[in-house]
Amino acid sequence: MISRLRALGENLFRRQRLDRDFDEELRAYLELQAEEKVRAGMAPEEAWRAARREMGGIDQVRQNVRDVRAGVRLDRLAQDVRYGVRTLAKNPGFSLVAMATLALGMGANTAMFSLLDQVVLRLLPVRDPGQLVIVRETGNHYGNSYGRNTISWPMFEDLRDHNPVFSGMFCRFPATVGLGYGDHTAQISAELVSGSYFPILGVGAALGRTIAADDDAVPDSRPVVVLSYIFWQSYFNADRTIVGRTIGLNSYKMTVIGVAAPGFDGVDLSTPAKVFVPIMMKTEMTPRSDGLKDRPRRLSWVTAYGRLRPGVSLEQAQASLQPLLHSILAMEALQPEFRRNATAADREVFLRNRVELLPGSENGLRDTMRRPLWLLVALTGAVLLLACANLASLLLARATARERELAVRLAIGAGRARIVRQLLLESLLLAGAGTMLGLGLAFVADRILLRIYLPADTAGEFMVSAIPDGRVLAFAAGVMLLTSLVFGLLPAVRGSQTEITLSLRDRSGALSAGGITLRRMLVGVQVALSLLLLVSAGLFVRTLRNLENLGPGFPTDRLLTFTINPSLSGYSDDETKSFFERLDVHLQTMPGVESVGMSAMAMMKGYAWQNAILGKDFEGAPIEQQPVLNNVSPDYFAALGIPLLAGRAITEQDDAPLKYTVAVINESFAREYFPGRDPLVQRFGLVNDMQTATPDIEVIGVIPDKKYRDLRETPPPQAYFPYYEDIKFRGMSIYLRTRADPRLLEDALRERMRQFDPKVPVVELATVNEQIGFSLRTERLVASLSAVFGGVATLLAVIGLYGVMAYAVTRRTREIGIRMALGALRSNVIAMVMREVFVLIGAGLAAGMGLALALADLVRSQIYGLSARDPFTFAGSAIVLTVAGGLAGLIPALRASSVDPTTALRQE
Amino acid sequence: MPVPESDLLQGTLDLLILKALALQELHGMGISRRIAQITQGAFDVKPGSLFPALYRMEEAGWLISSWGESETNRRAKFYSLTKAGRKQLHTESERWERISLAMASALSNSQEAL
Repeated sequence: MISRLRALGENLFRRQRLDRDFDEELRAYLELQAEEKVRAGMAPEEAWRAARREMGGIDQVRQNVRDVRAGVRLDRLAQDVRYGVRTLAKNPGFSLVAMATLALGMGANTAMFSLLDQVVLRLLPVRDPGQLVIVRETGNHYGNSYGRNTISWPMFEDLRDHNPVFSGMFCRFPATVGLGYGDHTAQISAELVSGSYFPILGVGAALGRTIAADDDAVPDSRPVVVLSYIFWQSYFNADRTIVGRTIGLNSYKMTVIGVAAPGFDGVDLSTPAKVFVPIMMKTEMTPRSDGLKDRPRRLSWVTAYGRLRPGVSLEQAQASLQPLLHSILAMEALQPEFRRNATAADREVFLRNRVELLPGSENGLRDTMRRPLWLLVALTGAVLLLACANLASLLLARATARERELAVRLAIGAGRARIVRQLLLESLLLAGAGTMLGLGLAFVADRILLRIYLPADTAGEFMVSAIPDGRVLAFAAGVMLLTSLVFGLLPAVRGSQTEITLSLRDRSGALSAGGITLRRMLVGVQVALSLLLLVSAGLFVRTLRNLENLGPGFPTDRLLTFTINPSLSGYSDDETKSFFERLDVHLQTMPGVESVGMSAMAMMKGYAWQNAILGKDFEGAPIEQQPVLNNVSPDYFAALGIPLLAGRAITEQDDAPLKYTVAVINESFAREYFPGRDPLVQRFGLVNDMQTATPDIEVIGVIPDKKYRDLRETPPPQAYFPYYEDIKFRGMSIYLRTRADPRLLEDALRERMRQFDPKVPVVELATVNEQIGFSLRTERLVASLSAVFGGVATLLAVIGLYGVMAYAVTRRTREIGIRMALGALRSNVIAMVMREVFVLIGAGLAAGMGLALALADLVRSQIYGLSARDPFTFAGSAIVLTVAGGLAGLIPALRASSVDPTTALRQE
Repeated sequence: MPVPESDLLQGTLDLLILKALALQELHGMGISRRIAQITQGAFDVKPGSLFPALYRMEEAGWLISSWGESETNRRAKFYSLTKAGRKQLHTESERWERISLAMASALSNSQEAL
């Protein structure tokens, strides 16, 4: 193997050396000839000229030699290829099975790699993406936060103005905005960006210009917007006159100043931005929440990016930013906002916070998909390996059948190296054809996967595509070469070791043992790999089942939901409040609707509103987790089918503007904060960094625990406030309990909402079951794919086992005949064959078990509700394989038992 | 056995080179001289056809080459026959004899017919 690689390398470098060699040889020839002429009496100069004349053009001679060298190799290659194609075509059954096996393995592997590459591996399409880092603060921030990667606006300014390691910093904030253009309204994703965003990223404009520093200098001053290229094409039909025109964002008139370079959709792949707006327009783009002009340090919301100076590594930069952060934290810890939120002990913890730098191409989608996608690539790798084992086994069998042909070729003078090369070439041809088919398969598979995985309305705009690009093709080519070596080398080397004399002798009796031991080992490998795949399929399918069975804690049949946000259509606080009051009535009177609930935070979508609380009963006590909160309408609990365990629900009479007075809590909240007491009439308060809070919110009711963010969580402590009391109205999630199948109501509901207010779009309309199902899409993807892989693997292993046993039985026909002639019973013969079958399976299972147990820790985080070494899954997989393998082995065993001794012996 | 003309000519040169090298290893110039000698000057092989043939035959595994010193102490590349080359010389000679016999008898017959 290594020596072959070396030969390949030498061949590449040999060309030049050969050319030099030849020049020297020619010179020697000329000199010798000239000498001869001198000896014959010619003058030296004359002799030299004559010699050259006789030779003809030196360049031509040189070229002729070169042609010969290239031609010989090319000739031989073409000959080998022709021969290989002919051999494969002569045996179409074998070739088709081999190609289909490979196509399956390659297809699965390429499909998964394509997704992994696009979602997890690829860097942002910007200048020097490797220099780009996300700057975040670790540890508790003692305030409100939009996520782990965010910091406050003043913190960003401090870091930007005083850091020693970046050539520049920018920040961004993702927002959903209402778009008005002509009579169209829609909600689109926008990225609010600082003026340094485009220059530091090095992203230019395809049309017009991008946002510059002076667009982003003074709050509210520049209503300008840059469109993403794909949005410009899809929504504005690539209209070049769009620059200079105005579009409405949240009903503010914004001037389009340009279109960003194609392929760039913002820095977060998971929410591709359609428009870019200066972050100084924050107040207009996110009504009722600011964070910019009032400069709160306890609200972290911007994601900060830095471009490392050339030669500065991520680690160096991280280390040299720590003192700067520490000085900022020390200053913040003295501020009243911080001290209202935290105790002296908290302060110590807070001052230990650190700066952490992440690669700039990181995003939420990458974070959640990294492990599942690597896992799936690993599983498909196992499938491919199994396919290779199958092919190696097939080729070994064929090499045995071809022994005579190979012996003949050796006898008439083919070198063994040539035979190895010929056999490897055949493998490569097979692998090439399999890869072509596999690429087609991968394309189809990716399309189906993306359609399942993504909500229908975003699939077209998602950055991930099923079309293979250069990187995927390179990957496929690499894997193809590797696989053809893996499955081709062993049979090829064996084939070249054919003994001429043995093979050419007339053999009408027993087939040669050719590779049967090797093939048995390969079957062991196959069984082991398919056990691995079956176990993982079992674990992931049961994880999905466990999650699906969990349920959110309330009945979800007949529940329809959507979200709606009138503030994105330019509605004021009062208009928004009136909008929801009228909407409540409007929907309650809709035919087919039983009840209507509204909440500020959507259920089971992964978000939460959290806040620290205080009360005289738990002052100073350490609080394990902050409660999650929500604003809901009076009928919310009724609509979701959540009963009240004690007290009463919220009513319209609880409306006391600008202040929370009453709350409904869940059992966990009661247990955590009022242990051993009647929770009704207890009081608590919300910690607020703007003023000192007092515990004056009265508990009026208690509901059972239900889930809030996602299915995996244990229900956190929860408190619900009347939604009319919310001083900052934004979007609401609406829940409709319907009388019949909720899907039947979807169209009528859209129509009714259009009549109600055509300016405010309905977003994310779905049944709650669909919504929960969607939240499990990653788990479903992993479970269904691993189930498919497990099935394919089992099938391949069973075919492999059958092939080897069938061959072994045929080879031993005579022996079996003799045994039977000597009085062996049919059952003895069956037992003899089956013993071998189960030894093979058993060895494979043992190896597979060891492998699966060793690898279990790698999948632990993807598993819910069972152990990664779950004995039932392991045992079940082993039983499935044993039964399937046993059945496959039974066929040759039965055939062996029906051998007729007389015929078998006469065969000789 | 019918042999196309071009093949015949190429085969001739190959056979001559093999024959020239049958006794001892030679460099390019030496092969050329030796062929002229054994064919009584009938064949004067020019480098333009000699070297391509040498390289082709080396690739085919009939010849092996190494650098050495010529009779006048110059560095030159020497060619010698391999085992496969000797075998090739043997089979080619037999084939050639068959062909030339056949040709001779064919030509003498046709002369009689004239």
